Amino acid sequence: MDKVIKLTKIFLKNSFSNMNARMGISTKSKAKFFVYALLILYFAGIIIFLGYNLLDGLIQIHQETIFVGMILFLIFGLAVLQTIFSSINILYFTKDNEYLLPLPLKPYQIILARTNVMLIVEYVIIFLLGLVPLVMYGILTGAGVIYYITMLFAVILLPILPVLLISIIVMIIMSFARLTKNRNRFQLIASLLVLAIILIFSTSMSGVKQNVSNEEMAQMLVQANGMIDIVKGYIPTVDYLIEALTTNSLFTIIIEVLKTLAITIIGFVLYMLIAQKIYFKGLVGNLFGGGAKSANKQINQNQYKNSKLYKSYIGKEFKSMIRTPVFLMQCLLPAVLIPIVMIVVAFAGINSEENGFQELSQMLSSMQINSFIVVCVILGIIQFFTMFIYVSITAVSRDGENAVFMKYIPVSLYKQYIYKIVPNILMNIITIVVTLAIAQYIVHLPIITLILLFVVSTIIAILQSLLMLIVDLKRPKLSWDSEYAVVKQNFNLIFPIIFSMINIAIIVGAVYLLNDINVYLGILILGIIFTMFTVITNKYLKNKQYDLANKIM
Amino acid sequence: MIEIKNVSKSYVKGKKSIDDINLEIKNGEIFGFLGPNGAGKTTTIRMITGILNIDEGDILIDGKSITKEPLEAKKNFGFVPDSPDMFLKLKGIEYLMFMADVYDVPQDKRKQKIEELTKKFEIYNELNNQIQSYSHGMRQKIVICGALLSEPKNWILDEPMTGLDPKSSYDLKEMMREHAKSGKTVFFSTHILEVAEKLCDRVGIINNGKLVFVGTFDEMKQKFKENASLEDLFLEITEK
Repeated sequence: MDKVIKLTKIFLKNSFSNMNARMGISTKSKAKFFVYALLILYFAGIIIFLGYNLLDGLIQIHQETIFVGMILFLIFGLAVLQTIFSSINILYFTKDNEYLLPLPLKPYQIILARTNVMLIVEYVIIFLLGLVPLVMYGILTGAGVIYYITMLFAVILLPILPVLLISIIVMIIMSFARLTKNRNRFQLIASLLVLAIILIFSTSMSGVKQNVSNEEMAQMLVQANGMIDIVKGYIPTVDYLIEALTTNSLFTIIIEVLKTLAITIIGFVLYMLIAQKIYFKGLVGNLFGGGAKSANKQINQNQYKNSKLYKSYIGKEFKSMIRTPVFLMQCLLPAVLIPIVMIVVAFAGINSEENGFQELSQMLSSMQINSFIVVCVILGIIQFFTMFIYVSITAVSRDGENAVFMKYIPVSLYKQYIYKIVPNILMNIITIVVTLAIAQYIVHLPIITLILLFVVSTIIAILQSLLMLIVDLKRPKLSWDSEYAVVKQNFNLIFPIIFSMINIAIIVGAVYLLNDINVYLGILILGIIFTMFTVITNKYLKNKQYDLANKIM
Repeated sequence: MIEIKNVSKSYVKGKKSIDDINLEIKNGEIFGFLGPNGAGKTTTIRMITGILNIDEGDILIDGKSITKEPLEAKKNFGFVPDSPDMFLKLKGIEYLMFMADVYDVPQDKRKQKIEELTKKFEIYNELNNQIQSYSHGMRQKIVICGALLSEPKNWILDEPMTGLDPKSSYDLKEMMREHAKSGKTVFFSTHILEVAEKLCDRVGIINNGKLVFVGTFDEMKQKFKENASLEDLFLEITEK
């Protein structure tokens, strides 16, 4: 067990250590701690604000217990989603696997340590998103000490099962890795396959309960705490813990927690048995599978054709992202996937009779469409969708230690910065176009408004790209053991969210201040504000191009 | 020609990692840069190539200051870094074409130069594969090819022999000799003392950030012990 703890510590240190640690400079600084504390407080604040409104509403109709169910579901769902991305990378694609295999370690020690790393990464997020609302529930419902103890059990136990389950699926898929010659393609297919399995599984699960008729629903609502049944019946451990957290009987609490514990232990034993059998097969297959080998040894005449530097540089950025599955899934695909999900949701809404979409259409038809407020709502939605595009915020970090290349080639750093943000702008434009197309389908805006919206959104996209690159330059994560660390174990990814939140605040502010303004004048004012910010940021980037690269070394 | 003038560098305040180095590598010269681990070799090379800022002094590459005219200075050298793990997702040919675009290699010269270099290093048949699939030595070779593609006047190579097989190592040494013979400069760091002895016109030994010796091997022998082996001399200089 001692070795497992030591291994876990080393894996964690390896994953989260940054360049400062490598250079022997202490990473402990009060300022850094203060910033992190502030950000955590900020997010806790948002969660409390959103959660309080919901919980308060539920308490008024005596349905507060559903809140517990929702939070437990959220924890479970988050653990599933996180593990899809983390497990394949933590288990298989970390650089240290190669050094680990020859060491005198038993397979279970490595598996346990890797599983610990996955769980610890889960807990960081889940404690924030799960614990804060559950404590709030306890305070607002005047719960006693036993509730808080049960809550701790719930938060600790609940994520374990999804982590184990997803990891087993990943291990089964990856045990076929040795059959493939193209590791990259396989990694991408494996990630997408796991995602697809989970999506199919979850839609089929939700389908079970969607057939509840209106009368049944009404009946449930009439019953005391009846709404809780809506979230029950999907996942056993969630059910047990809902029961444990909402009952007044100590005996029930003990029984339900013990049931959860028993299922988790059984899951764990099964996981260890399966993992011991198949983990190393996949690992060895993956390590020695190598990259794609082309049968074509002759260089085509076209391959010698020279191209303009900007084309070559931007092409290199795209190739590196497309050929690295983690980057493809985290940097490029969201730009396409998020609007696609939107289309699906929109069309599902149109086809279904009883949902909010028709009400929305009716509501929209009753108000003036070509108005500043509608334009601002669309702009806000675009801001929300583009915050998941991580191209610019990882532009330098993705290169890892190879980023020094930028500093010794005879191309100005500013030019290279611009080449590096172009993919981010292009991905933003895809999201903007799709969002506008859907918006147009729903609200039928005049073409000139659409064009103006496109222009302003693109200006904001350029501003976002510039600012996020500056953040990445100031806080690069160049020393990583797997590409996964760049997009997941990277605190910088909070900045696109903060940027979008600020933009949404500016847009909301504009709605309040310029409420009845002419729509074109309104967009123009927003356009001027964001153009000003963009010009200033660009000037800063150009003037400070060398200072900004100081951390790359 | 590479001129290093009164260059100092500190990572931590009050502790100089490089302390007032002066060095001139003349045209037509192969210069070996030696020193124990952590002595300051890579830091010096990183300052020459513009990767690290210089705290004091200046470095000129063919008369162009790396601090004042960085782009002009950078056009004058080809650099092979100590780690060849770069652009792993690109195919060999894509990497070389990218380097050719960066260094403005004319269209008519590209094919000839790429074929010449990659055939010499026996990686021509691998050019359509991703660099990720290359062995360490092959990665080293493709990085060297990329650096030499534009026929730079000054070669700056950080541990270039690491990972090379005997034939490639021999070929690279021959190329270095030819390059110097044509009146150009080779500056390289190495741990392999025999290579330095056989190949270099002059060597510089750096220890604790200070240049403790610059000269030929004969001068080194004269200055220290006449009949001592190169290894003994190196140890004596660096352990003083």
